[in-house]
Amino acid sequence: MHNIIRLVWFDLKHELRPPVWIVMEWITFIIQLGIYGALISQLVTGIADYQQYYAVGFLVMLAFDIGSHTGRHFVEHAHEGRLPYLLSLPISRSKLFLSIALQGGIELALIVAVPFAITLALLGNFTFISVIGAITTLFCLGFGVAGLMLGLSFIAFKSTDIYTAITVGLSSIIIRFSTVLYPLMFLPPNYAPVAILSPLTYGADLVRFLLGFERNILLDPIYAVAVLTALAVSTLGLGMLLLQRLVEGVKSG
Amino acid sequence: MYAVETQNLTKRYGKTHALKGLDFTVNPKEIMVLLGPNGSGKTTLLLILATILKPTSGSAVVMGLNVTKQPTRIRQILGISFQEARGFWRHKPAEILRFHAAICGVPKSERDAKIEEIMKDLELWEARKKLFMHLSGGQTKRLEVSKLLLQRPRFAIFDEPSSQVDLRGKRKIWGEILKLRDQGSTILVATNEVREAEFLADRVTVLDQGQSVVCDTVRNLKDKIAGGDVVELQLEPGPNSIEELRERLSTIEGTVNLVTAGENQYRAHVSMAEAWVPKMTSLCYEKRARLLSVRVTEPSLDDVFLHFTGKVLENPANA
Repeated sequence: MHNIIRLVWFDLKHELRPPVWIVMEWITFIIQLGIYGALISQLVTGIADYQQYYAVGFLVMLAFDIGSHTGRHFVEHAHEGRLPYLLSLPISRSKLFLSIALQGGIELALIVAVPFAITLALLGNFTFISVIGAITTLFCLGFGVAGLMLGLSFIAFKSTDIYTAITVGLSSIIIRFSTVLYPLMFLPPNYAPVAILSPLTYGADLVRFLLGFERNILLDPIYAVAVLTALAVSTLGLGMLLLQRLVEGVKSG
Repeated sequence: MYAVETQNLTKRYGKTHALKGLDFTVNPKEIMVLLGPNGSGKTTLLLILATILKPTSGSAVVMGLNVTKQPTRIRQILGISFQEARGFWRHKPAEILRFHAAICGVPKSERDAKIEEIMKDLELWEARKKLFMHLSGGQTKRLEVSKLLLQRPRFAIFDEPSSQVDLRGKRKIWGEILKLRDQGSTILVATNEVREAEFLADRVTVLDQGQSVVCDTVRNLKDKIAGGDVVELQLEPGPNSIEELRERLSTIEGTVNLVTAGENQYRAHVSMAEAWVPKMTSLCYEKRARLLSVRVTEPSLDDVFLHFTGKVLENPANA
């Protein structure tokens, strides 16, 4: 366990000294919610308080971004030459991958903490259980997305440019074609079937359900739990398996 | 028992064969140098032995442990200094070493003192507070080597340990590698620098296109080149005919070729000059010819490589 903590802290301390990018994420959230969210809320009539809906959507996008960043970060390590060094350390592969996942989880917690607290303050109506459920959903989504990015890493071993283009393009599509910013029932008929395929739809609607939003504008939470759990388990498992085969089978350095 | 043994070891990257059925051994507590041009499979072999890459087929055993079945246990007794130290752009050398020492189990009470000693030895101390990304190529190489000197593993792997390092630094690094061997570590060094190989090697394995071409001590490898040693002689003729003496010189065992290089001067291409020269002096004494000068030139490892592979070691850094 000591070595896992060492691995996590070795990298993480540089992210936190000083924690500029984390604070910038918080400021972005505050400005976006305080200005854009407040203004757009006055224009949207179909939802009781769109600023609250938007706040949760933005939170889910943050979780998605960090998950995506964690997955891509690992692939970058492979290309920068850090991965062979990590693979040569006297720890098992499972501990190494666990440390990477743990680092992603801590980064997610740090970045989401303040926006999450602001969202709760804005909603004003929540319980301890609902808060724990919402946090679990965000983590599940983050891990699932990180796994998805790792699963796509085999492309990066052929070309990092193609990998970056695909992951960035995929991220934009996954966010836009989801219920992060607008409920499924308001989506144009052509968009709705695509939004059903986006993992963010399930993440956003489940967090909203747990935080007490009106159920009639959300997907069935049972489906959302099933989809998110399956996503996290399958993509992380598959991603690790693929990556382990790839990093140990592809010439590096 | 060998410290390292590979049997029929193969590694393929798609259609490219990096290693082709390699049989290779390293004895305990020796420095084995892998010599070969770029792309000969040196780094691939090192990465397989370090359990970073998996072989496509064949077996590799390190200190009695199988690389595919017991990789974590191998990593606990092994350390590797990579060809290129990369990846920790925002870290400082001292903290990289502190992390490495901690994760490799160097006792906490010894860490700081050892790090200071090694950094001073390898002239890194002044750069200890610089970010990794601001270090020169030579400094990053010294840092990479420092990790192993700190760790002192039972089996140490160095991939081109002194490339990009100045001559004084090279000598220092080579000295530390020899010291590591003398303290009981088994060492594997991959290089395409002939001087480095000559300085360090207990034995040399010449790799070419993923296969071991030849393996022996530097001395024996040189001796294996028929006519590789060049002996230049200048004689003062005695009462006997110089032509007769020349005739007799060319019949000494080990003479491959004897040519006239000037008046009373000869150039002999011989195998094992150390055996040939005493026979030549006895002959001159017998024929009462006075030997004015003798100059012996032995083949370099470049010549050895050329002899066994028909190729030259292509690397401008060797110049």
